[in-house]
Amino acid sequence: MPDTATAASGLGTYLPLVLLLLLSFGFAVFSVTIAPLVGPKRYNRQKLQPYECGIEPSPQPVAGGGRIPVKFYLTGMLFILFDIEMVFLYPYAVAADAVGMFGFIAVTIFIVAITIPYVYEWARGGLEWD
Amino acid sequence: MSTLFLAQAQQEASRAEVLADDPWWLVLLKVVVLFAFGVVMTLFMINWERKVVARMQHRVGPNRVGPGGWLQSLADGLKLAFVEEIIPDGADRKVYWLAPVISSTTAFVGFAVLPFGPKVTIFGEETYLQLVDLPVGVLVVLACSAVGVYGIVLGGWASGSPYPLLGALRSAAQVISYEIAMGLSLVAVILYAQSLSTGDIVDAQQNGWFALLLFPSFVIFVIAMVGETNRAPFDLPEAESELVGGFHTEYSSLKFALFFLAEYVNMVVLSGFAATLFLGGYMAPWPISAIGDGYFNTGWWPVLWFLVKMLAFLFFYIWLRGTLPRFRYDQFMRLGWKVLVPVSLAWVVLIAGVRALRTDGNVGSTEIVIFGGAAVLLIVLLTLLIPERKVEVTDRIPLAGSGFPVPPADLEVPEKTPRQLALEKAERKRKRLAKAGAASTTSSSASADKEGSDDGDA
Amino acid sequence: MDLAQGGPATALGVPSIDVAAVLPLLIVFTAGAVGVLLEAVLPRNQRWPAQVALSLTSVVGAGVALAVYVTGDFESTTTFRAEEASSGALAVDTPALFLWGTLLVLGLLALLLIADRSVEPGGAFVSKAALRGGAAGGTDTLTKEQTFTGMQTEVFPLTLFALGGMMTFCAANDLLTMFIALEVLSLPLYLMCGLARRRRLISQEAAVKYFLLGAFASAFFLYGLGLLYGYAGSVKLADIAVAAQGTDRSDTLLFAGLGLLAIGLLFKGSVGPFHTWTPDVYQGAPTPVTAFMAACTKVAAFGGLLRVLTVSFESTSWEWRSVLSVVAVVSMAIGAILGLTQRDVKRMIAYSSIAHAGFLVVGAMALTEDGLSATLFYLLAYGFTTLAAFGVVSLVRDSSGEATDLSAWAGLAKRSPLVAATFTVLLLALAGIPLTSGFVGKFAVFEAALSDGMAPLVVIALVASAIAAFYYLRVVVLMYFSEPAPDGPAVTVPGVFTTTAIAVGTIATLVLGIVPTFALDWASAGGFVF
Repeated sequence: MPDTATAASGLGTYLPLVLLLLLSFGFAVFSVTIAPLVGPKRYNRQKLQPYECGIEPSPQPVAGGGRIPVKFYLTGMLFILFDIEMVFLYPYAVAADAVGMFGFIAVTIFIVAITIPYVYEWARGGLEWD
Repeated sequence: MSTLFLAQAQQEASRAEVLADDPWWLVLLKVVVLFAFGVVMTLFMINWERKVVARMQHRVGPNRVGPGGWLQSLADGLKLAFVEEIIPDGADRKVYWLAPVISSTTAFVGFAVLPFGPKVTIFGEETYLQLVDLPVGVLVVLACSAVGVYGIVLGGWASGSPYPLLGALRSAAQVISYEIAMGLSLVAVILYAQSLSTGDIVDAQQNGWFALLLFPSFVIFVIAMVGETNRAPFDLPEAESELVGGFHTEYSSLKFALFFLAEYVNMVVLSGFAATLFLGGYMAPWPISAIGDGYFNTGWWPVLWFLVKMLAFLFFYIWLRGTLPRFRYDQFMRLGWKVLVPVSLAWVVLIAGVRALRTDGNVGSTEIVIFGGAAVLLIVLLTLLIPERKVEVTDRIPLAGSGFPVPPADLEVPEKTPRQLALEKAERKRKRLAKAGAASTTSSSASADKEGSDDGDA
Repeated sequence: MDLAQGGPATALGVPSIDVAAVLPLLIVFTAGAVGVLLEAVLPRNQRWPAQVALSLTSVVGAGVALAVYVTGDFESTTTFRAEEASSGALAVDTPALFLWGTLLVLGLLALLLIADRSVEPGGAFVSKAALRGGAAGGTDTLTKEQTFTGMQTEVFPLTLFALGGMMTFCAANDLLTMFIALEVLSLPLYLMCGLARRRRLISQEAAVKYFLLGAFASAFFLYGLGLLYGYAGSVKLADIAVAAQGTDRSDTLLFAGLGLLAIGLLFKGSVGPFHTWTPDVYQGAPTPVTAFMAACTKVAAFGGLLRVLTVSFESTSWEWRSVLSVVAVVSMAIGAILGLTQRDVKRMIAYSSIAHAGFLVVGAMALTEDGLSATLFYLLAYGFTTLAAFGVVSLVRDSSGEATDLSAWAGLAKRSPLVAATFTVLLLALAGIPLTSGFVGKFAVFEAALSDGMAPLVVIALVASAIAAFYYLRVVVLMYFSEPAPDGPAVTVPGVFTTTAIAVGTIATLVLGIVPTFALDWASAGGFVF
């Protein structure tokens, strides 16, 4: 919005948002700091164990040198692919009327280019969870 | 529609300009009210949810604390402050401490861009009922809900315990998966509003809600919204039956309360966001908007409509929780990646194409409908030609490494085990030998016995 | 709302695209994308024929499109440009077209090597990328999956993407396009390095090494790009040239930017002190991929380097020439001296490629018409030779795969005179013996450098080539005058694909050595346009 941007330009526009952020941040920090002070303390070694059913924890948590299923990484990578697609689609959507048919064709080519690896991953079972 | 708005914009100062002129006390007031609104809505929602779900299950629900039991959640919240806080031994204490802070801080920020109402006068100062009108308002909400996941992931990771870790991982995968669908469903809205500012999006719906105009986007958004907030039926990160409490298993006291707060504030923000994007925001619904030449669209009335729409979405959340069983994880991911993403992609291309044809190609709506219908028909017919293909099991890399032997589905189970058979055989042989020993005296019975044992072997 | 009011095509200009000029690029990239789809939809046993057909057809088709464009009323031009701007993202000029032609021909030969399934049953590529090697060092015991004769046919689309990236890289007219092209050409190569069927661990190690170092090089390139943008306020090569001519801006930005940019480019060309990845990656990667990298990546990297130096930094050449001279000398010295100590054929050719990169830098520094054409010719000649050489390397095998240890090559002439003779020709070309393309290339480059006043550098280069000639000839001597080991390797009789690739490479080496005039004419047809 060029007109609004000139009138209320600069980062000053974001100041109220930062205020809200600070307020909620302050509240959160206050809460987590006050809790151990007002709460009771009854030490018991068993309480400090990880929540488990009595056996050796499985899988080991990452902090203990454990591993994370590779599926999650795959999903993460796919997410980045599509997130980038979204990042490009938003400016197009805002300016869609200005760029007209040429913009639409360009964006369609872009979407197709993203869809091809998506089809590939789908067909090869990259989206299966079992 | 847009020319009307432009005319308005030229006459008066725009929304962002008015908001930028707010005096400091008004900004502070708005900030505090928004924050309080979030907290109060959380307390209200917890109670409301318990009561509604109770009714759905023919129970009464909380009814002891305060009038009608409505102060129950407040009492619970206060109690949480006075219970012992336990930090497990294996925890990474700094991150463990930081996680609930991140979660709850970012949850509130989304409120900043939600337009609660049009221009009103507060203590003699003209302003809009909105904290800021950013040119990237939509992105702020998306960013907040995305950053909030850090709280969940870090919390689960820092607990140093397997259940929270699994919950956190699931949550991360879930939120990023549904964020794609949500983001893509927004593209259509942005395309029609030609702006990322929430105020402009509301204004763009003066002639019709986007929920009707862009119905597929609306459906996808609502589904993704539920997935994004980790609520039933998509509440896999905190699936009690599988993961105890999910990412917050090891959290207690006020840190746990903050996660709870964040979840409910996220729900409230996303409900308000959905109302803004698809249900015309603070504008009065149709029959009411026609009364008195739009009287109900002025002053403080729109806040009521906004709250009603928001509460409708919140009720929908509760309704879902009371009705639907939890998804299995693979079903959930399949829904996200194999249904929502392709459908929203196709829908975005369709909408953008129609829009481009109408603005640039000088093509009327009738032609679009005719040719579009023909194209859709063609595609449907073409899809019928695609043969059903079996999934190639050989191509898949065994990621989970489950090496357990599994019997085939058509396995024929023998009536007797090999050991039993061997024992029987040995038994018969023993008997035969014994009889043979006996038959050495009487040869007449031996042949008959031999036949009998042959039958048994066969 | 202003945008909405403005109406179509006023707020944002629609770029003009000369489709005929970029048709080769479009064909290669589209074929790559279609290849990915084929991978997705075709059943396993149909993938290999479909992919081979598709990739060979597309490369040939791109070559035809290029030929049609060149023989038509071609004029050097830039394309992908918005109306008001003077130059576009791609410069389709004579050097670019020459490099495209070179890349397409070499890419076609490399594809033939990649597609071959006769030398190693099932091809040189592993059937599942996730497979680990057998024993430590990963030499020998083949698991059941490794002996399974399928292969990762993804390698074909990957090759096409890399090829398309290389072509874009040569023609990129601004640094941003160049960077994207750099990534497009690099990422598939990283992956392809890790796909060898035999010696899985070495192959995967090569892939990781190449990826990590390549990522650093990309970062250097990007950082240099940023500094140059800070200097000139534009990423266009022509604008940087304009900014560098007579301004009072800080030269620090300019030369720091150029330095970082050059590191990125020299890394890809495996030059001088930025060569450390080369021996390991050449050794570990599947031999067809090594051939593709050695031939085509070098062409692309030096194409880009030539364009950047000529277009953007000609006016400041006094300042940077001395530094680049040092780089060239270091590269030649490393290639020639370390090459002497190698016991592995693939590593030896890798060091040879480092030495050759030094010679190429000498040519690229002579910012004259002669220097340009000589370097272009050198790239063409070197590409054919090294491709064919790696093709021959893939033929000499024993039970554990390729026998790349030099001792295994002893007395090869007695086992297989034809292979030994072919390899001899190729080694002589690499050494720069007359009547081979290597001699003509070196002669042209040194002549251009001499006429541009770089006599000391030429002397050093001559010494370096004399040293390097020693280790090439050592292999020749080994092949002809040693007794073959009793348990030595056998020479596989290659199928049509590999035979064609080696034959074309060898014949081109000889033809370019005996009658080089036509190719030199092509190479000197015109300069860069921007």
